[in-house]
Amino acid sequence: MNSAIRIAIALLAVVVLAALPWFGSDVIVQFGISTLLLAVLAQGWNIIGGYTGYPSFGNSTFFGLGAYGVAVAMVQWNMPFWVGMVFGAAMAVCFAILLGLPVLRLKGHYFAIATLALAQVVAAIVSNIPLFGQNIGLVLPPLNNDAMFYELSLALLLMATLTVWWLTRSRFGFGLIAIRENEEGAAVMGVNTTLYKVMAFALSGLFSSLAGGIQAYWITFLDPASAFDISLNVKMIIMAVFGGPGTVLGPIVGAVVLSAVSEVLSSEVTNAAGLFFGIVVVAAVVLMPRGLADIVHHFRKSGWRYFVQNIRAHRI
Amino acid sequence: MDLLAQVFVNGILLGGLYAIMALGLALVWGVLNIVNLAHGAFIMLGAYLSWYLFKYLGIDPFLGLPITAIVMFGAGYAVQRGMLNLIVRAPMFNTLLVTFGLEVVLTYLAQLAFSADFRTINPSYAGSNIAIGPVVVPIVRLAAFGVAIVLAVIMWLFLLRTRLGRAIRATAQNLVAARLYGVEPRHLYATTFGIGIGLAGVAGGLYGTVSQINPYIGATLTAKCFAIAIIGGLENPLGVIVGGLVLGIIESLAILYIGATFGDVASFGVLVLVLIVRPSGLLGRTA
Amino acid sequence: MSAILEIVHVTRRFAGLVAVNDVSFALNEGEILGVIGPNGAGKTTLVGLISGTLPPSSGDIVFKGRSVTSLPAFRRARLGIGRTFQIMRPFPGLSVLDNVAVGALFGYGRGTSDLEEARQKARRNLEFVGLSRFADHLADELGGPGRKRLELAKALAMEPKLLLCDEVMAGLNHVEIDEVIGIIRKVRDLGITILVIEHVIKAIKSLSDRLLVIHHGEKIADGIPDAVLSDKTVVEAYLGKRQA
Repeated sequence: MNSAIRIAIALLAVVVLAALPWFGSDVIVQFGISTLLLAVLAQGWNIIGGYTGYPSFGNSTFFGLGAYGVAVAMVQWNMPFWVGMVFGAAMAVCFAILLGLPVLRLKGHYFAIATLALAQVVAAIVSNIPLFGQNIGLVLPPLNNDAMFYELSLALLLMATLTVWWLTRSRFGFGLIAIRENEEGAAVMGVNTTLYKVMAFALSGLFSSLAGGIQAYWITFLDPASAFDISLNVKMIIMAVFGGPGTVLGPIVGAVVLSAVSEVLSSEVTNAAGLFFGIVVVAAVVLMPRGLADIVHHFRKSGWRYFVQNIRAHRI
Repeated sequence: MDLLAQVFVNGILLGGLYAIMALGLALVWGVLNIVNLAHGAFIMLGAYLSWYLFKYLGIDPFLGLPITAIVMFGAGYAVQRGMLNLIVRAPMFNTLLVTFGLEVVLTYLAQLAFSADFRTINPSYAGSNIAIGPVVVPIVRLAAFGVAIVLAVIMWLFLLRTRLGRAIRATAQNLVAARLYGVEPRHLYATTFGIGIGLAGVAGGLYGTVSQINPYIGATLTAKCFAIAIIGGLENPLGVIVGGLVLGIIESLAILYIGATFGDVASFGVLVLVLIVRPSGLLGRTA
Repeated sequence: MSAILEIVHVTRRFAGLVAVNDVSFALNEGEILGVIGPNGAGKTTLVGLISGTLPPSSGDIVFKGRSVTSLPAFRRARLGIGRTFQIMRPFPGLSVLDNVAVGALFGYGRGTSDLEEARQKARRNLEFVGLSRFADHLADELGGPGRKRLELAKALAMEPKLLLCDEVMAGLNHVEIDEVIGIIRKVRDLGITILVIEHVIKAIKSLSDRLLVIHHGEKIADGIPDAVLSDKTVVEAYLGKRQA
């Protein structure tokens, strides 16, 4: 497939997706919004987790800060929505830079755990600040225009995806991949690892916070428990890893597939969605540790043996 | 001053319990390089097991601990042998995800089996106290503390003095070192994980005597175990005790001086600070 | 000849151990300096100190007349210090070509920011070390000798002024060693100054203009290879021990 055809297919897909509110039902559009926002989160996580190799559990914090940016601006200051988006994004980026500097020095488990703990600390602090509505939460002015939220979410996902695509063909992206593959090796080759990691964290935070802003305005209610929900972070990781971390389209595919299946399950069997998620995670990691994207490459070659090979490679 | 002394005693007693909770997590982490996000869920299962033994068979929660330990050891052995052994050589992040998936499944199943109601294990002596000067010491907490310390010391001796213990410690340096000791690595892994889960089970049984249990306690407990393992280091069970005591005291102080909602936050804050100041843990080298 | 690198009274301590003890020497432009010493003598530590992955406990490292002691590794790479790793650590998930392209994208003076240009340059470097036919393989798929060459190609793509080779010949057979020696000579002909760390004495003797011997972290000899290798202290400390 040459690149002209690829671009044509991509454009067509975007046009079809953008037209959805005109022919889809309300339920479909709502499902679309939540799926698109999850895809943005998975794509945002992909930048720091998939490309840079730092498994962040702090991205739900960015999401929460973005959501609170919009809520505080609109409810407490009577400012327009976009000011809130800017405010939330600014908070998230500052957070990423200030805390990224010390936390990104940690590796592997330690980084994951530090971001996990930070997320809890931020949630607790926010729930004690009067401006943020403390534990009671904030109610935003309702806007009954799902088509607008849908298009906004789609545009955001497009931006995030283009950014990730740019990573695969730019010096910055190669620097991040080099850090993921071997950080010391990257440094002696001239990669400013600290700067690159912080920038990746901030970029990741930017997209997550914008998704949070849209979500807050759409749902019109915000409290610390929903804004800083750690399981949301786990969800985005699972979607990215399921689809293929460190690939351009993997996180989107992961988000769409998993959202669709869990939507079906939660309407058929109430409450089983959580169990399903757990089982999918275990099965996916054991059978296809490099995500759906990798299957596409290798399944044709090795067929079902692909799964056996994965197990062979990682068991003792 | 009396208040402060009381808070310290509370903190230390709580810390002993925390230590035994974290001991299994630290062992599995240090030896197998698996950060077990389902550790808290196993603590929860241990607590329910103890509760059932007490409620339906009338077995005293402390006397029932060996049963809990053995059953949970078996469960842990099976999980490692059947599932985690398949991914021990995968990137660390994948093991994190698998144990997270396990946590979700266990919590969900627990909710089906036990309902979301709060339970407590209430033996007849549950309300008894000893007064030492102005400080009140609840008997149950003291006993839980005692069991925790004794177990930690036993673990320490086990790792240091026995052949299996030495094989386990060697495995922490090199995954296949078990062979040098004539132990099959798969078996050794499963045994190590089983011991970790057995300890989690005992910790759960003790937790049930001093606190309420429900299917959702796991996640918070896992997070606390992390904090303790990081403060105490992964090498030495006695370091984990220190970590548990530190966290117990900090939490008790935070609840007294900042407010009840800050108990957990304090421990997470300390965790982040420790990681930033000394990425390899406060005491000794961590894996 | 002017010195491109000066090591001035450099010491590096690890907990309870002095890995490099008060070592001083200079490296002249265009020279190949061999550094030998028994295992654990502090050779790899020395490379770490020069490339910036390890800070020295004391002393000064001067590169092209400027102290780089407090500069992080990436800044030193941009000034023109390239290194290979004894324990070869390529970027395992990237193709051999892209492994080398990273060197061209960063490296001396920040390299190029154009990916295509970097890959072109990487191809030339792969040809230089004889790895062209593996360009599209994953770095992970290369065997030991291939990885040694990849390490060299990655470092060369950075266009270094000074190349630190950490045991690029260890574990190779005679034929492979001769090939690597040939490559290193070609590198020197490009005008690049080279510091070779090795513990295969034969190989390094024919390659080096000058030899430096390190033992227990201390410099015990420094001079032309023949003189150094017949030096009594060296024979006792190094050869004697190895033969015993």
